[in-house]
Amino acid sequence: MSKEHIAEAKNITKVYNPGMESEVRVLKDVDLSINKGDFVSILGPSGSGKTTLLDIIGCLLKPTTGKVVIDGIETNNLNDRELAKIRGEKIGFIFQQYNLISSSTALENVALTMRINGKSKNEAEERARKLLHMVGLGERLTHLPSQLSGGEQQRVAIARALANEPKIILGDEPTGNLDTKTGMKILNLLKDLNKEKGYTIILVTHDQRISGFANTVINIRDGEIIKIIKKRKGRGK
Amino acid sequence: MLDLAFKNIKRQKTRTFLTVLGIVIGIAAIVALGSFAEGINIMVQEELEPIAGKIMVIQKGSGGYMTGFQGSDITDEQIENIKSIAGLEDVVPMSMYIGKMVPMRGPEWVVIGIDITKGRYFVGENIEMHDGRDFVEGETGVVTIGKTIADRYNLEVGDYFTVKNDDFEIIGIYELTNVGDVDTGIIMPIEDMHNLLDTDTYQMVFVIPEDVRETEIIAEKIEDEDEMLSAVTEKEMSREVSQVVDQIRIMTFGIGAIAAVVGGLGVMNTMIMAVMERRREIGVMKAVGATNRMVLQQILTESALISLIGGFIGLFLGMLASFGMTGFTGGFVTAAVTPLLAATAIGFAFLLGIIGGLYPAWKAGKLDPVEALRYE
Repeated sequence: MSKEHIAEAKNITKVYNPGMESEVRVLKDVDLSINKGDFVSILGPSGSGKTTLLDIIGCLLKPTTGKVVIDGIETNNLNDRELAKIRGEKIGFIFQQYNLISSSTALENVALTMRINGKSKNEAEERARKLLHMVGLGERLTHLPSQLSGGEQQRVAIARALANEPKIILGDEPTGNLDTKTGMKILNLLKDLNKEKGYTIILVTHDQRISGFANTVINIRDGEIIKIIKKRKGRGK
Repeated sequence: MLDLAFKNIKRQKTRTFLTVLGIVIGIAAIVALGSFAEGINIMVQEELEPIAGKIMVIQKGSGGYMTGFQGSDITDEQIENIKSIAGLEDVVPMSMYIGKMVPMRGPEWVVIGIDITKGRYFVGENIEMHDGRDFVEGETGVVTIGKTIADRYNLEVGDYFTVKNDDFEIIGIYELTNVGDVDTGIIMPIEDMHNLLDTDTYQMVFVIPEDVRETEIIAEKIEDEDEMLSAVTEKEMSREVSQVVDQIRIMTFGIGAIAAVVGGLGVMNTMIMAVMERRREIGVMKAVGATNRMVLQQILTESALISLIGGFIGLFLGMLASFGMTGFTGGFVTAAVTPLLAATAIGFAFLLGIIGGLYPAWKAGKLDPVEALRYE
């Protein structure tokens, strides 16, 4: 594996209910290398396997066969505990549904991620405050998710994803629940994080427009990568 | 993350309140009933104090100490036989007459007829007179009384106390001893007692050995000498009483425990629901690095917290109930929440929380983050 690669997937297949009548081959022999500092968009219609691929890269899901390497660590033989550690240290997730904890404030939502990974409450909250300032929510620290707009909730989710200084930020349709204008703002924020802070970003979407922000666009259909487009301009640092 | 656990159980306030209430009822029952059992234990042990180091001889088959030796008739001849046994310091025959019985409170007063020169064997050597004086040899028609009885009936030295239509002059009042039968006792010469009961036998005989270590041996000798008699030592009685009290303890704990276990099922139910509701959240926790074990611990902490809150409130309410019971029985039974009982109650609550939380916590820990995150 090249030093440049922050994430690598080799011959990944994912089969649900193998050997049964209901067997579904979601991914078929997928090969993928993602460079450090890249902004990748995985594009495909629903049911194409793009979310499964994202879950596998994010160590939430184990592939049926194949090898996944994250920041130089082969994840195939890791146990649940070690995978959790990789998720905590190297990966930040952003979801379409935001998935914030409804009873916790913006600040607590962001801080929780750090506390899970061993930071003290004070330490975590101090950093959470900084991150929320950075995503433009400095005035919303003590708001509950229900008191925030969709765009604001997604900003909290981005701050949360950044909390543990991950190597990769994974987004599953992060703009799917937002109106176009707000969606663009979120994408711009992610683009800034990519450009200015060098975060590697991988977004899964069926929205063509998102591809405009990406340096690499991976087209996936029926569990197979059919095309990878690499743009030259706008690479990270 | 205890603060998070607190926060989480506060989310569904009504549900948490009801769940806590289930534990409160169970633990309060354990504490209240248990304190009653402890109270009975303390009371009985206190009642046994006067016979410490002595042997109590009664007729076989008669009622025991607690029932005032109904039907025990020991004759002078039998007493002479006992006196013939070696190693005795003294032999003190006596009889009892139980006054008015009050339901739940026991006798209001007890008359003890005793050889007045040996009255101190019953009252205790170190007990001082609160007022008046002790008996002098050969006196009849007079009584000394306990402090409780004096206070209850507003009696003073020089007043008369009526037993079965006979009036007895009160010559002395003992200080408070905290031994039930002395404080509510009326002590009279055995001769007067014999007249009163129209008999010349005795209900029981105190046998005082010269050497306390020989108590058990002498008790055996007495029973060998006269098969009509039963000689009981304090140790033996205490053992028997302990067995009974232990049974009461187990029974009262059992009743409370049933209630508490039902409360524990409530905890389990609540936690299963909470885990269902928070699937996504658990998925997020896992996505950001929480291990199965952390999730399991979090849920266990919450269920233990609910149970412990219930446990402490239950303990408090149980103690209140215990004071209430003491009041209700007029102090006849002083319900006591011993540290052991309190610790048992809290420990039991904690255990219920852990056991009740184990299954939901295990389920939460095993949740597949991918499924949990996409759960609608």
